[in-house]
Amino acid sequence: MLKTLIEAFALISTWEVIIAMFAASVYGLVIGSLPGLSATMATALLVPVTFYLSPIAAIATIVAASSMAIFSGDIPGALLRIPGTPASAAYADEAYAMTRKGQAELALGAGVWFSAVGGIAGVLSLMILAPPLAEIALSFSTFEYFWLALLGLMCATLVARSSPVKAIAGMFLGLLVSCVGIENPGGVPRFTFGLTDLFGGIEPIPALVGVFAVAQVMRAMLTPEPPPLPRRKFGSIMAGQWKLTKKYHWQMTRGNIVGIIIGVLPGAGADMAAWVSYAMSKRFSKEPEKFGTGHVEGLVEAGASNNASIASGWVPSLLFGIPGDTIAAIAIGVLYMKGLNPGPTLFTEKASSMYAIYLMFIIANIMMIPLGIAMIRIAAYILLAPRSAIMPVIMLCCAVGSFAIGNNMFGVVTVAAFGVIGYVMEANGYPVAAMVLGIVMGTMVEQAFVTSLIKSDGSILPFFERPVAAILAAMAIGALLWPVMVWVWRKVKPPQAAAATSR
Amino acid sequence: MRLPDSVTGSFLVVLGAAAAYGGWLLPPVPGQPVGPNVFPLVIGSGLALCGLAIVFGIGHSFEEEEELIPLEDGQAAAAPPPQGKLYGLRALLPPALLLFYVLAADRLGFIITAAIMVYVTSTALGAKWKLALPLAALSPFAIHLIFGKLLRVPLPAGLLPTPW
Repeated sequence: MLKTLIEAFALISTWEVIIAMFAASVYGLVIGSLPGLSATMATALLVPVTFYLSPIAAIATIVAASSMAIFSGDIPGALLRIPGTPASAAYADEAYAMTRKGQAELALGAGVWFSAVGGIAGVLSLMILAPPLAEIALSFSTFEYFWLALLGLMCATLVARSSPVKAIAGMFLGLLVSCVGIENPGGVPRFTFGLTDLFGGIEPIPALVGVFAVAQVMRAMLTPEPPPLPRRKFGSIMAGQWKLTKKYHWQMTRGNIVGIIIGVLPGAGADMAAWVSYAMSKRFSKEPEKFGTGHVEGLVEAGASNNASIASGWVPSLLFGIPGDTIAAIAIGVLYMKGLNPGPTLFTEKASSMYAIYLMFIIANIMMIPLGIAMIRIAAYILLAPRSAIMPVIMLCCAVGSFAIGNNMFGVVTVAAFGVIGYVMEANGYPVAAMVLGIVMGTMVEQAFVTSLIKSDGSILPFFERPVAAILAAMAIGALLWPVMVWVWRKVKPPQAAAATSR
Repeated sequence: MRLPDSVTGSFLVVLGAAAAYGGWLLPPVPGQPVGPNVFPLVIGSGLALCGLAIVFGIGHSFEEEEELIPLEDGQAAAAPPPQGKLYGLRALLPPALLLFYVLAADRLGFIITAAIMVYVTSTALGAKWKLALPLAALSPFAIHLIFGKLLRVPLPAGLLPTPW
């Protein structure tokens, strides 16, 4: 154990990793603070750069950039009432109300401090949960993997803030995208329409860049530019944070736990964690009437929650290749490219790399405090950059980055196509995250499904015979039927309510 | 681009049916009960079913309206953008520019193509030429420096090779 830890330290204490982490942190802070540019987009645009880094440095950039971006979304939320990333949307109103009361320092300080605490809680969950789960997962056969993958896909549709039917449709679309190519059980070209470019299948990374970055530029074309940030002098940012920690330690812990749980659930990420935690905070608060008027309690809980979900999202990603959120979905792509294929054996064979990931998460969250304070102080200058200067550069990065992934122009076509798909889906209430999950997990689901079917000689029974498989199957089928039950319950309920009022 | 649910739903039905049919046509693996055809069949049928459900409005009640943050008196409401007939088509500009990049980059070279892309995007987002022109002149070089020089991505040189 100690030996692995020392090895892990040796892995991360190279100049490459240190510089990569620092640069990615600054990059994440800037992208996160710009309204309209999300943490997922920041991560997606980083991928081409990670190609040219060592595996550990590549993961370092993703870890640092995503953690920083989630915090930094709080800055324009508090100062402008425009969340920098969707993860800050839940409490942007509250934070802005505090700014209007003259408590901008307290609001932003709470953002930095509780983000860092939440992030570290998330890493602890990763360290504690992942190895024992890996032990269990070692005995999994394709039946268990199939149900697990299905459960993951179903979770993503359950937690979507949209119609579950549309979420399931989005998931199927993603799975369909993953069908393209010759990498299938028969090795025949499938849905390639005679195009050799499609033989290798549709790469997940350009698809994700398209869905998250190009679609965002497309939306920017139709929305008005956010107002510039008024310049202001800040007092001490960290003042009073310790007092808040002591006063709201229970809320903070609850935020951490909720964030961790939501992070582990496939498909649900930081934005969902923040919404749930903010709502919980209001529900269980002793002074719920203060919410919405600039009360720091909800900020503490939601801020602690969204950053906790970032690290815990890596638990299913590292163990099973099932992304805990959209950022982890991109991370999985990078892990595969770097030869760190997700799976339970990662924790035994590449233990030092895993420890290096934990350490990097901890370092990133500690670095967040000084860098975050610096960022808050200079945010007014960064937010001066007009959108018409940033979006064109993002476009260039999309084009060059998607070209760089395979050094062919087809990647650029993929990015453009998925930009349109993502834009149309988003505009019509189809959750994009569900499709992304389908694309990333498609090959794995199909392999598990077809291999299981071949093993069982076409019979369905063995899918339920092994005990763990049976439990997972019950959960997956329950998740599938849940929206139906809610729907039926809603249909049945109105007559009862009417009867109650008439009495 | 907000389309009625019946349109998107019907599209999914057609797509799902096509996928299922396409999967059904695939040759099976000799001597195996299942092959590359099973998965598309399952996915396609599922997609078509979902499409049908959407056409009939099942699950619509779950949809939450997007929470729009109401403007306060302190924040002056931005003037509503001019809404011409073709205004919605502006959203298609970014993918169109990416396709332009695919077609033109090999002939014109990275720097020129990128400069055109930047200039058009920037102007479309409302930048004056005072901002758009320097941006179009400088940012391609910056990107080329990072990707072409540092990361060794083979970007096409075309008509205007970079000095490095």
